Amino acid sequence: MLRGFRSFHPFVLLLYYIIVIAGLMMYQHPVFLTAALLSIIFVNLILDKGVELNKWKYMIIFLALFVFVFTPLFNQQGNIVLFELFSRAFYLEAVIQGAMIALTLSGILALFTTFNIIITSDKFLYLFSKFFPKWALILMLALRFMPLFRKRLADIQDVQEMKGVSMKDGKLREKAQNGMLFIQILLTYSLEEAVQTADSMSARGYGLQKRSQYEAYLWKSRDWAMLVFLLLLSLLTLIGWKSNKTILTLTPELESMMLQGHSWFYLLSWILLISLPIWTEGKEVIKWNFYK
Amino acid sequence: MANEKGITIIGVAIFFLLLVFFPKFIVQHYLLISILFIIAILLPSIIRFSRKSMTSREMVMLAVLAAIAGVSRVPFAALPSVQPTTFVIIASAIALGPQSGLVIGASAALISNMVLGQGPWTPWQMVCWGMAGFIAGLLANTFFMKHMAWRLIYGFIVGFIFGWVMNMWIFFSGFGDLTLETFVLLNTQSFLFDLAHALSNVFFLFLFSMIWIKTLNRFKEKYGVFQEDG
Repeated sequence: MLRGFRSFHPFVLLLYYIIVIAGLMMYQHPVFLTAALLSIIFVNLILDKGVELNKWKYMIIFLALFVFVFTPLFNQQGNIVLFELFSRAFYLEAVIQGAMIALTLSGILALFTTFNIIITSDKFLYLFSKFFPKWALILMLALRFMPLFRKRLADIQDVQEMKGVSMKDGKLREKAQNGMLFIQILLTYSLEEAVQTADSMSARGYGLQKRSQYEAYLWKSRDWAMLVFLLLLSLLTLIGWKSNKTILTLTPELESMMLQGHSWFYLLSWILLISLPIWTEGKEVIKWNFYK
Repeated sequence: MANEKGITIIGVAIFFLLLVFFPKFIVQHYLLISILFIIAILLPSIIRFSRKSMTSREMVMLAVLAAIAGVSRVPFAALPSVQPTTFVIIASAIALGPQSGLVIGASAALISNMVLGQGPWTPWQMVCWGMAGFIAGLLANTFFMKHMAWRLIYGFIVGFIFGWVMNMWIFFSGFGDLTLETFVLLNTQSFLFDLAHALSNVFFLFLFSMIWIKTLNRFKEKYGVFQEDG
């Protein structure tokens, strides 16, 4: 039994990701982006104690630094010169721009680590089969073949090594050639086998009628509640974006980074939107501690 | 068939015209444009694909090829950036036609990312590999794919374009203005990887494309599958 954020209907979860990614791209303001990144990191921590994020952290840090360093180098729009290096001016505006892009990028990447935790491949295939039923069937078959072929490849490699064909030593050219030979063997081997699978599918009546589907995910009343809530928050997000309260104006004149008036309200609803997993999961944590 | 081909070609043409004349618009509306781009390229073929009645043998063969394309990275994990996935897609597309090439390419990207983890690059990978297969399939019966030299050139170009488009997702997340300077900078970072990818495509196509296509054609004849796409 799934609990917490994971137990919502896949459509609701997909909508959450679409809205948050769109929001990350629209809200180009350091305060909003920093708040978003911190919330997403917190979501990661509450979902799996940051295990998945840990795997990606070097890539995220590298890309963020890369963007942060190189944007001011190429972006030559601005009024306030910070310093000059190799007869190239570095503008404060460009540095802020670089920081915002780096924040957006790391926010999106960190969000995708939660995507990989929440939208497991069965949910992904469920969503896919709603839009492209036939393609989803091919994907399901292929996904099952992956571990099978991996095993077969290991077998093929063992057998060929006995004959002296291996990828362990020799020149790069020979290694690559031998590796491709294994794939070649795997192809003929698996295609012959696949015909059997296909014939067994036909024997069970594949293609005679319209394919029926097993509904693994039921739409519950809490999904309605979540959907309404998501739509409301995304409407607020959109209004905030339209009113320009959530975007930092860089040109022609740099705006103050401090939030004023309505901006605080939009910040609150933005954090509320991103942290939906936190308080659905947090409820479970509190319940667990209470009953214990 | 001609209809869907036409729609796809027009979609690609519009996208590249936009890219050339309104780079600013594209950068500012990353999400909208990339979604439109993917729809313009993939949707006509996917619609045709889901309408077409396929035998179970054809379906399973496509699944096998997609899985092989995905799994073929495994024995090459020790050799950096040498992976025959692109070769598998191109060679299969030449034998089985554009439709199958597209499905094999896009599926291979999807399932290998399901194992390795999805990211903002997934749709780009699907489009890249899908298009590599689709175009190879389109040109299968022309002199382009019949002559080994042109086939090798195609593999080489695909290797580089794949790398460039894969670098684009960083761009479209808002990396400054899309100028030639930033484009070059981003791609010099990955030049060696792209070169290795292009050269390994050439290497595999040169040594194995003949036998691979022959094997698949033999299967087509033996089991009577994929007869109409040629």
